[in-house]
Amino acid sequence: MSTTLDLAAEHIARRVASTIEPLLAMVDGWRGVLEAELSGPFAGALTGSSTAQAATLDAVVEALVGAELERDGALITGAGFVASPGFLADAQWHLAWWLSSANSFGTGAGTGTGAAGAAPTLRRLEAVSDPDSEQFRDYTTLEWWRVPARTGRRHLTGPYVDYLCTDDYTVTITTPVMADGEMVGVVGTDAYVARLERELLPVLREWGGACTLVNASGRILASTDSRRATGALLRLDGLSEALAPLHEEHPGHAALLGGGEFVLPCGDTTLALVAEAPA
Amino acid sequence: MPHAAGRTDATRAVVFAPLEGAGRAELVEQRITDAIVAGVLRDGERLPSESDLAGRLGVAVVTAREALVALRDNGLVHTRRGRDGGSFVTFDPDASTRIVERRLRALSRVELRDLSLHYSAIAGMAAEVAADRASDDDLASLADIDARADLATAGGARRAVGRFQLEVAAVSQSPRLVQEELRLQAEAGPLLWMCLREEDARDRSRSVRLDVIQAIRDVQPERARRVTTEHIAQAVQWLVDEKSRIDQASHPAGGAASALDALDAASVTPMEHRTGADQAVPAEPAEAAEGTPA
Repeated sequence: MSTTLDLAAEHIARRVASTIEPLLAMVDGWRGVLEAELSGPFAGALTGSSTAQAATLDAVVEALVGAELERDGALITGAGFVASPGFLADAQWHLAWWLSSANSFGTGAGTGTGAAGAAPTLRRLEAVSDPDSEQFRDYTTLEWWRVPARTGRRHLTGPYVDYLCTDDYTVTITTPVMADGEMVGVVGTDAYVARLERELLPVLREWGGACTLVNASGRILASTDSRRATGALLRLDGLSEALAPLHEEHPGHAALLGGGEFVLPCGDTTLALVAEAPA
Repeated sequence: MPHAAGRTDATRAVVFAPLEGAGRAELVEQRITDAIVAGVLRDGERLPSESDLAGRLGVAVVTAREALVALRDNGLVHTRRGRDGGSFVTFDPDASTRIVERRLRALSRVELRDLSLHYSAIAGMAAEVAADRASDDDLASLADIDARADLATAGGARRAVGRFQLEVAAVSQSPRLVQEELRLQAEAGPLLWMCLREEDARDRSRSVRLDVIQAIRDVQPERARRVTTEHIAQAVQWLVDEKSRIDQASHPAGGAASALDALDAASVTPMEHRTGADQAVPAEPAEAAEGTPA
């Protein structure tokens, strides 16, 4: 692969990163606000409460994520804070999660595509927080909780079918919220894969050949090759080895596979571009 | 085409049926009954108020009230008055067993086989696609669900089957298959997996699960589908056989209502008045006939 192609592929990888990275920065920003609220010299400044409790924290979370959820052209469809079991004084299990008006989960309505000018209707996710209920899901077993809890770092989950929250094909970004040296929850956001695909496909097409965006497991998020279905695993010799650093949340590096495919990590997203040489 | 014509007439009849007719209240009643029997709604849980329920299900308040009255008559909810009042779920394993049995009697073999085909189409396809799309993490989740399965009780085994099938559907990466799986579980889960009352069926459900996991691990879509659909076919075959047993026990000479009908009638009396399954309440003719096709 010539240097010119390297540069072209790297340019596309950077543009993919620049689409997703604002979401990462936004989630990091929310984490900062919540961490300052939950410990340190300004603890309780926003809630006016010295103990962390759902009753006062929820409004802070709503204010924090609500504006971003209802912003015109927002990529995200859900966002919020999920508490570590037992952290909040008044709720053992707690999801403070909001859904944008484009998210029709649980309303029985068709997929809203966010008609312009429609009245914003930010909705709270109705989560089952009673562990005795059959519908209750122990969220600490789910990838979007488990991985940040293990690594202490931000994680991109998906694409996956999120039957707990959006009921759709979703990417979730979560990061740990720390207070006094302990993880007290995660803060994060959801984006529909269909929405991301609309943003990313035009970028991928700039590569003249087949160009596929995969997650760290090699699962396809979007591809210019119409035979490569979103959600399928991209099976190429050497690909899982090339993606291994991303799977461990390390930055990763460019690699050239035996079949001539170029694998490029996309910034801090843990996604990678697999660019096949143009015919 | 007589079939189509009959269908059209029936459809037309529905169009002009009174909107507050029995149909809608029965649908609401059936949905909540299914949820209680499946354990989705828990014992002691407060149901939404009449007006809330009506709003959420898109029916009139009077329809919701009618459904709640029927649920109360069936001993599935009780109502408390006052400030902390409302309708609360009453879950009784014996009562729910009888409800599932009554449902089995009400369904024809044709309907049971059709349910089998529908569910096989969904679960089989999910397994087939999952075998092609499962990552190592997905395989770990499937194995974890199996490890947490409680095979000691019918309910535990059924929840494990349900959780596993749902995860397989999720691994297929299809939101539609996941939604359909959830819908079918809510509608027919307790009925479909009634065979898990028997220990050997519970053991088989485990070995099937391990088989499916292995097929997915080996990327054998065809095998994952076959093992899944055969399991469903076996469960439905058990249902058809069980239905024959119940029907014969109920009408040994093909005639008069028997002890089982009386038992059935007992299940529709409120819990407080039920002192035991074997203390049969005299069957009202109308209730005894319910769900027993002539």
